[in-house]
Amino acid sequence: MGVLYGARHYGYSLVRVLSESSSISLKEGTIYPILARLDRDGLVHAEWVESDQGPPRKYYALTPSGRQLFDALSQELDVLVSLVQQKGKGADQPAPAGKKLVVRKG
Amino acid sequence: MSNYPEVVAKIVNDYLERVKLQLRLVSVQEQVEFLREIDSHLLEAYQQTPGEDDVARILEVLRKFGEPAEVVADRLPGAMVRSGTRHNLPLYIVGGIFIALFGLPLGSAGAGVLVGLLAALAGFLAAYYAVAGSLLLVGAVTMLVGLARILLPQLFDRLVALGYIQMGGPVGEFLDNFPPFYQGLLMILFASTFAAGGLGMLWLGRHMLRGLRFLFSLTFDWMRRVAQSARRSLLHGNRETPERSRASLVRP
Repeated sequence: MGVLYGARHYGYSLVRVLSESSSISLKEGTIYPILARLDRDGLVHAEWVESDQGPPRKYYALTPSGRQLFDALSQELDVLVSLVQQKGKGADQPAPAGKKLVVRKG
Repeated sequence: MSNYPEVVAKIVNDYLERVKLQLRLVSVQEQVEFLREIDSHLLEAYQQTPGEDDVARILEVLRKFGEPAEVVADRLPGAMVRSGTRHNLPLYIVGGIFIALFGLPLGSAGAGVLVGLLAALAGFLAAYYAVAGSLLLVGAVTMLVGLARILLPQLFDRLVALGYIQMGGPVGEFLDNFPPFYQGLLMILFASTFAAGGLGMLWLGRHMLRGLRFLFSLTFDWMRRVAQSARRSLLHGNRETPERSRASLVRP
């Protein structure tokens, strides 16, 4: 979702970006079930685009609700990271005021 | 026109066919779209993969792409749910009524017979091992008694006097014909026979277990195949044949 936040991608380009910009090692085909799930949940929008380099490509882009969810998840992750960092420093300080760690169900 | 060399096209077609097989329960439209997407990915990955050997290149691409089951894993559950609601609902309702009226009672009877057979087999197995265990126990006790008769005759006599050992009937009369030492030896001989019988039954039981396991797996496998084919024919009853739309995708 983070990669799709900045620009739309088709499956192959998404895999390339993921494998080049991070240490994530994944079977390329497994990206499609994930994209299908996001599409089904209305978090990404997909459309076929003709390509002059070969067969048509199916491009994916985040929908507004996908962006919203990504923002929320990022915030939660930030809180989580700060909590872990505090724990790492051995400080018994309370969690940052005004932010609650949301536990999602399902 | 194919973008691959002939041999590579065959490999790709074979892979797409295997993916398609995994997508049996997905609607035709979804199948076509999904296969198009994968096809596009494979072609681009193939073009981007350097190398002289075409076959090695496509095999490398497919290795990185993953097995068909991994690729379609998330497609199936939702599609299964949708497939039941999309096609010819009245027919399914009629089928459901028929199954409720005739299929379930017959199926219940069949299941009852099967459960009974399994229970009988389990009971037989339990009885068999109980006999084997009893033989071993009798063998061990008789062995101890025989040893006591030879090594500790006074203890043996005392146990007899106290009623802990009772040697009556024809066996007792038979043993009374021999001196204590030979009585002990005979008891050890009997004990060895019992123990050998028990051990033999355990040894045979191992083979019997294997045979029963084979029988069970054969039965369950057959039932599974019948259930799968029934389910498939129910689900595919009115669905458009996937081959028709797939023909435009798979390369010759």
